[in-house]
Amino acid sequence: MDDDSALTAAADEVVDGGSNGQPSSANGSAPRRRATAQSMAASQRDISVSEFFAKNRHLLGFDNPRKALLTTVKEAVDNALDACEEAGILPEIWVHIETTGESRFKVGVQDNGPGILKKTIPMIFGKLLYGSKFHRLRMSRGQQGIGISAAGMYGLLTTGKPVKIMSKISPRKPAHYYEIQIDTKHNKPEILNGRGEGVDVPPGEKGREAIEKLGIEWIEVNHGTRVTIELEARYQRGRGSVDDYLEQTAIANPHVTIHYQDPDGNAKSYSRVAESLPPEPKEIKPHPYGIELGRLVAMLKDSEAKTLSAFLSDTFTCVSPAVARRICETAKVSTRANTKRIGRHEADALYKAIQETKIKAPATDCIVPIGEELILKGLHQVVPAEFYVAATRPPAVYRGNPFVIEVGLAYGGEPTAHKVSREALEELLSQSDSRTLRQFLATSFEGLGFEAADRILKEAGLKTRISPGKLKKQSIDKLHEAMRNVNLSSGQSMNVLRYANRVPLQFQAGACAITQTIMQTNWRAYGLSQSRGGLPSGPVTVMVHVASVWVPFTSESKEAIAAYPEIQKELRLGFQAVGRKLGMYVKRRQKVKQEGQRRAIFLRYLGEVATACSRLNGADRERLYNDLLRVATKKTADADLRFDESGQPIIDEDPEEYGENVLIVDRQNGH
Amino acid sequence: MTPSTLEALVMPKKAPKRVPGEKKTPVKYTEQDKKTLGRLTGLADGVVLAAEKNREPHVDIPARTLSNVHYSPKKKIIEMGGNTNRRQLFNLSQAKSYMQTLLVATGCKQLIDEGKTTSIRGLFYILKHTIEGTKEETFSDQAECDPIIEDVEVALEALREELHVYASNRGTMVGEITLIDSGDEIDCTRLGSGGYSIPSICEPDVIRFRKCDAKFVLHVEKDTVWRRFNEDKFWRKHKCILTHGGGQPSRGVRRLLYRLHNELKLPVFCLLDNDPWGYYIYSVIKQGSINLAYESRRMAIPDARFLGLRSKDFERCGLSKSVQIGLNDTDRKRAKQIAGYPWFEHKKEWQHEIRQLLDNGFKLEVEALISKDISYVTEEYAPQRLREKDWLD
Repeated sequence: MDDDSALTAAADEVVDGGSNGQPSSANGSAPRRRATAQSMAASQRDISVSEFFAKNRHLLGFDNPRKALLTTVKEAVDNALDACEEAGILPEIWVHIETTGESRFKVGVQDNGPGILKKTIPMIFGKLLYGSKFHRLRMSRGQQGIGISAAGMYGLLTTGKPVKIMSKISPRKPAHYYEIQIDTKHNKPEILNGRGEGVDVPPGEKGREAIEKLGIEWIEVNHGTRVTIELEARYQRGRGSVDDYLEQTAIANPHVTIHYQDPDGNAKSYSRVAESLPPEPKEIKPHPYGIELGRLVAMLKDSEAKTLSAFLSDTFTCVSPAVARRICETAKVSTRANTKRIGRHEADALYKAIQETKIKAPATDCIVPIGEELILKGLHQVVPAEFYVAATRPPAVYRGNPFVIEVGLAYGGEPTAHKVSREALEELLSQSDSRTLRQFLATSFEGLGFEAADRILKEAGLKTRISPGKLKKQSIDKLHEAMRNVNLSSGQSMNVLRYANRVPLQFQAGACAITQTIMQTNWRAYGLSQSRGGLPSGPVTVMVHVASVWVPFTSESKEAIAAYPEIQKELRLGFQAVGRKLGMYVKRRQKVKQEGQRRAIFLRYLGEVATACSRLNGADRERLYNDLLRVATKKTADADLRFDESGQPIIDEDPEEYGENVLIVDRQNGH
Repeated sequence: MTPSTLEALVMPKKAPKRVPGEKKTPVKYTEQDKKTLGRLTGLADGVVLAAEKNREPHVDIPARTLSNVHYSPKKKIIEMGGNTNRRQLFNLSQAKSYMQTLLVATGCKQLIDEGKTTSIRGLFYILKHTIEGTKEETFSDQAECDPIIEDVEVALEALREELHVYASNRGTMVGEITLIDSGDEIDCTRLGSGGYSIPSICEPDVIRFRKCDAKFVLHVEKDTVWRRFNEDKFWRKHKCILTHGGGQPSRGVRRLLYRLHNELKLPVFCLLDNDPWGYYIYSVIKQGSINLAYESRRMAIPDARFLGLRSKDFERCGLSKSVQIGLNDTDRKRAKQIAGYPWFEHKKEWQHEIRQLLDNGFKLEVEALISKDISYVTEEYAPQRLREKDWLD
């Protein structure tokens, strides 16, 4: 082909020169044409989606090795959860990350989902933009059908290893095993094993041996799918890590059990706290308000409806024949017009008419929120705190897409660094492999950053670079003392967990409508400190869930939610709802604290008073002291509100005061 | 204070000091001491009783405020009313002062037990220590301790000397009198330029009058004026006793004036500044103070006279304008307040005097007279006033 076109181009040039009568070179001043329309046409060809994304992997969340690992896990887990929920199975997910070489990892994700039919496996994992979710308007985690195949493609690009898929649809049938790689040029899957057919793995002992040979893990389930991808990546704990993502997933999906094994071999499980699946979201037709002109034109073309009126009422939700007639009247187009013959001009008028016509908001039962109760459970399971509150807003609509905002908030809780005992600290120190004390503090204790670690070390008068193992007894005492005394919550800013359709969003917090709205909300009214236009500070975790049939992301990597005014308004109302209850709790807590301080003042003087009295009249000092102590305790009984109770986490004694959906955990017996 | 005795104060349970004067020869209590000790014990009994009954202990302290004093037109002195302030242990703002009240009581008991007296500053040092288990001091300074001592006085109806406490000397005396102070004979005509320092306690057991040639007492406000009079030997020329109280006269000075007036029948004349403060000093000498209303009957001298300075003296004496001191807002407020006191309210002359002060818009110190001539006040002003009986009552 290439040769052919080159010849034609050369011939054209000759003809071109001839027609001019003069060779272009003789002219001297005229620039030589670098390429002609023909030569350019020759190099213009189709770009496959796969090729495009292979070159632009950052669009899909593969900008750096660390993020690549996360995105891979994330896409696989999201797909697994969607599959399980759609099939009505309580999801159980196994995530296994293993180091296979320097900066190489093998990621295996398995679910107990319905399994995938043999013939569709290659398309799902080996073709970009293939899937069931793009064409429908229904609340789901995935939207485009790019994710998992892109992860496989990234693995192939960086390690040359194919994606390995094992799927089983019934306990009676054998599992299928495929090794697939994506043909980027044609955006087509290529099956590498079993001469392009894949292999069947029989159940039982024989199968187990076969699986071992394939170099994958398989957890025996009746049905389910496991995808294994090897890729170049970097594993690092902390913000935006796989660990973080799974933890946050557990919060927003309390019906899911996740088993996780990290590259260092540590296993962690998040067990489900809800034993029932969320109700199945309904698929809806688009709402006319959410349609753009171009889309409208395309829909008109594709429509099978005979008349315009029928088209409008069939394609869209909330459009009755009466509404359709009104739209047509406004647009000055006949209701009986043939949809195929609607011209550009008329489509334009129609589009404008839609915007002008009053159409009722779409039905909102297609959104399945997590629910206040489950948010509380999820937060409580993962975030240690004293006070939990949740609010689910009623559904609202942006550009014809229904959505629901949910906000959960966890407040307080002593940081782990405050609670650690002297013995436990010594043990931790001796086991730590951190090189410096500063690092030890920051990595060993949750909610303790380097800044707080520095403050602790300053208070203890220790150097930052001491090795934790070499600390003397006296220094350990000092460290322990300092850890208890330093106020760790000062300067700690609000921890924001963002979710879209139950999927945690971990990057681009600043660009996200959620973060922006939190900053615009006045949290000072609710007892938190907040600098102007910043995140509030204090021991607070806020989780925000945006559920919608179509979540408006700012980019394909799905990291930030676009700031539609309707969404921001609902967010604000959600924050205010949880904020009010937080404010009540904070005030109450302050009262308890004040009572405690009052008592401390009385206690301070009791000894002196008892001594003075016994000196004056010879009364028994101890007895008098105890009597006075009893009176003081009675007098400041409020200070005991939270100290006396024991046992399991308790719901507040008078929940009515706070309204519903609040969970308060005893400070001393928490968790 | 040795550390060990301090220790004993803080933690008597280790070294119970129930028998008074255990270590030394037993102290002989006077009748008064026994009475005072009984009251001190009663204070503690109240606390024990309340604690046993699970009630909040408190001390009722007679209120030392303007609202709780009344002027008795018959006796012409200020008397204390029956209002009391309840001081509670379990009240955030009173807890510390409650504790301090009991501490002061123990300090007094200790003094009585040991048969000693000390100054209020000394008592402050006896009681000052760090509260166990804290970094807080029982008293941060003496100013915190002094009002508590007065509280104990009123609460127990015991005078300061009955509690074995005295204040530092303030005020000086010179003149035609001979007295015996703690056994020493003092001839007040032979005291040079310094004079006799008036002690805090001027009870008959400390000071006795031996011989008196004086015909009256002249009390001046401050040391400077007193020195002028003493240097010019005014007291010799006019046969009198000359005293000053260093501003607001202390209890010792007032008690001494009272005794001179009542026992020796000497009239008392006051030469004070022409300002609200001067008026108030006169009022205290004459009717008693609000703060120490419970002592009025032993201290107030209803017959004391106000010799000057008067509001009209600026013109009468032809003083230069530069000696004027402008009244400030506090002065004006204070002057109006004094004019409203029941013991001034119905005295036309006083009302006129105070109104004129306000109209003048300036105040005058006695020292202003010195600007006219150094000895003008001793040679002309005072003798003329006395001669013409030109004074305010």
